[in-house]
Amino acid sequence: MITFERRVEPNLGWTVAAFALAVLACLLATALLLATTGADIGQAFSALWKGAAGSRRALTSTLVNATPLILTGLATVVAFRAQIWSIGQEGQVFAGAMGGYLGATLLMGLPPVLFFPAVLAFGVAAGALLGGLCGWLRTRFGVNEIISTVMTNYLIAYLMSWMLSGGPWTEVGTVAYHQSPELPADAVLPMLAGIPRLHVGVVLPFVAALFCSVLLARMPLGYEIRGLGYNPEALRHKGVDIARTVVVVMMISGGLAALAGAIELFGVSHRLRADNFAGLGYSGIIVGMIGGLSPLGTVVAGLFFGGLASGAVSMRVLSDTPAALVPAIQGLTLFFFLCAGVLARYRIVRKAP
Amino acid sequence: MSQLFQEAILISILASTLRIMTPLLFSAMGELVTQRAGIWNMGVEGTMLMGAFAAYIGVTASGSLWLAVLAGVLAGVLMGVVIAFMTATMRVDHFIAGLGLNLLASGLTLYWFQSYIKRREQPTFSGFQNWPIPGLADIPFIGEVLFSQRLLTYLALLCVPAIWFLLYRTRYGLELRCLGENPKALDVKGLSVPARQYAAVIFGSAMTALGGSFLMLGFSDRFLADFSAGRGWIVIVALIAGNWAPKGVLVAIVAFAFLEALATHMQVLGAPVPHQLLLALPYLASIVILMFVRFRSGQPARLGVAYMRE
Repeated sequence: MITFERRVEPNLGWTVAAFALAVLACLLATALLLATTGADIGQAFSALWKGAAGSRRALTSTLVNATPLILTGLATVVAFRAQIWSIGQEGQVFAGAMGGYLGATLLMGLPPVLFFPAVLAFGVAAGALLGGLCGWLRTRFGVNEIISTVMTNYLIAYLMSWMLSGGPWTEVGTVAYHQSPELPADAVLPMLAGIPRLHVGVVLPFVAALFCSVLLARMPLGYEIRGLGYNPEALRHKGVDIARTVVVVMMISGGLAALAGAIELFGVSHRLRADNFAGLGYSGIIVGMIGGLSPLGTVVAGLFFGGLASGAVSMRVLSDTPAALVPAIQGLTLFFFLCAGVLARYRIVRKAP
Repeated sequence: MSQLFQEAILISILASTLRIMTPLLFSAMGELVTQRAGIWNMGVEGTMLMGAFAAYIGVTASGSLWLAVLAGVLAGVLMGVVIAFMTATMRVDHFIAGLGLNLLASGLTLYWFQSYIKRREQPTFSGFQNWPIPGLADIPFIGEVLFSQRLLTYLALLCVPAIWFLLYRTRYGLELRCLGENPKALDVKGLSVPARQYAAVIFGSAMTALGGSFLMLGFSDRFLADFSAGRGWIVIVALIAGNWAPKGVLVAIVAFAFLEALATHMQVLGAPVPHQLLLALPYLASIVILMFVRFRSGQPARLGVAYMRE
């Protein structure tokens, strides 16, 4: 009889095989998805590749698309490693963009060296505040963080919707566009080495990833984060203030996600408009989880999905495939990777009946 | 304001409270069964969205509202199978599995929706009409509020006593509650834990998708992205606020629906408050409710804990 048995030690070869199987399943499922809507599979895949890595412009676009995803992915890593199931990244991205926009309206005219760090800090502070609020709701009132973060996502989205249609940031002269006026040219992030679209913000996710790996591996707070995930009771006996740690973790996570929103505002969209920020937070949850909740893995997964997002544009143009293929593939990939993660922990054994 | 006008407004608010609570009630009663069986299904939102989407495809493709409901429920069954497989068989963390399902559902529905309406105008439909109960609907006030609703609204209200009876007065209900409190007791008696969990999750997801179908067919004439708009999460809040008992959950759902009905009517009456802030009320209320709900005595002891035979 063949049965599954839980492994005591993870086996590298088997783990690699399980995840390779997951990747294969993803490709098959994507092909199936394309087939359900009657698209030409070969043409779609080739357009996808062209748009993701086929040219210098495609690579730039991949990097720009990966930037917010890596940051929201890192926000997921920091929270989930502490077993805090925050899904507030979506709202924190919005908060970061709104905080940054507020900063820009207040600080316009500062020299760029001061202006950009200051407005990004405004954005980060908004997200950290929002994250910290949900952490506090959990430690002070026992409100489940999944629910509080989902609800704040909706609250922030409605707040932004009001600010941009009827509220103080509504673009004058337009009624139906639900957007803010465009930022002046001085408030747009400069381009890296003069390459069009490649704003300097693309460096920040890598800095943030380095910060997260040092934090998790080398700093006392990182030890507490991992401890919160493994055994909060032991941590309490060691005299760690769990409530404080939860709030701090949520603030860091919120700040990282908000940074994504602020960079997106100053580097890509140049104005507040819900469409430009929607989905970045939810995709980040997938990126962080597929990255195995490690900063390095998150960078890799973020680049991969950035490429997918970039490729999807050319796929829509060249092979008329709906743009929402990207979130669909993301959801499927997450599922297969979750299964692979379980599979990697088991082994197949043959027993005498 | 004349008294007649005030009464008309009140009737309208109460009647729409009942209509708004219909999808929430279906879903909440289904989720109650799922959670009493020990499965913390966080995929309610995605399941409701999938049900609504399947109903949209069903009604625009076949033209029949009841076939559309059937399509929605079948989509729910499928979602239930996936969630049960992830939680009861693969034993993935229940929160993670549910979040994954939500993300999958929002991506897939959007992709299929965009493919469905590609190169043509989005098809619309006309949804369920009122189905006044003869005789009862003519009673002044009460008749207009209670007995001039859609057929599925009556069914949703009947679900509450039916689920209560199932949980507390049948052998199956006893086994179900045992799954959430002490699954080992069932296992040592030779009764299959996974089989019962599969049944509970599939039933719950089918009910949630039925709610999603009503959301589509009773309120709208077309599908939009993020159609369920957080209602699945409100159902989860209602379960916690109602302390996992049918009556308590009903009260919580009524409160949410009343709030939403009030918000939409204030918008129509031209209250000097931006409508976005009125629409945000139920979400704000969810957080406030959870802040002050202290009793958790009804929470199943093994809720969200994977059962492993040692």
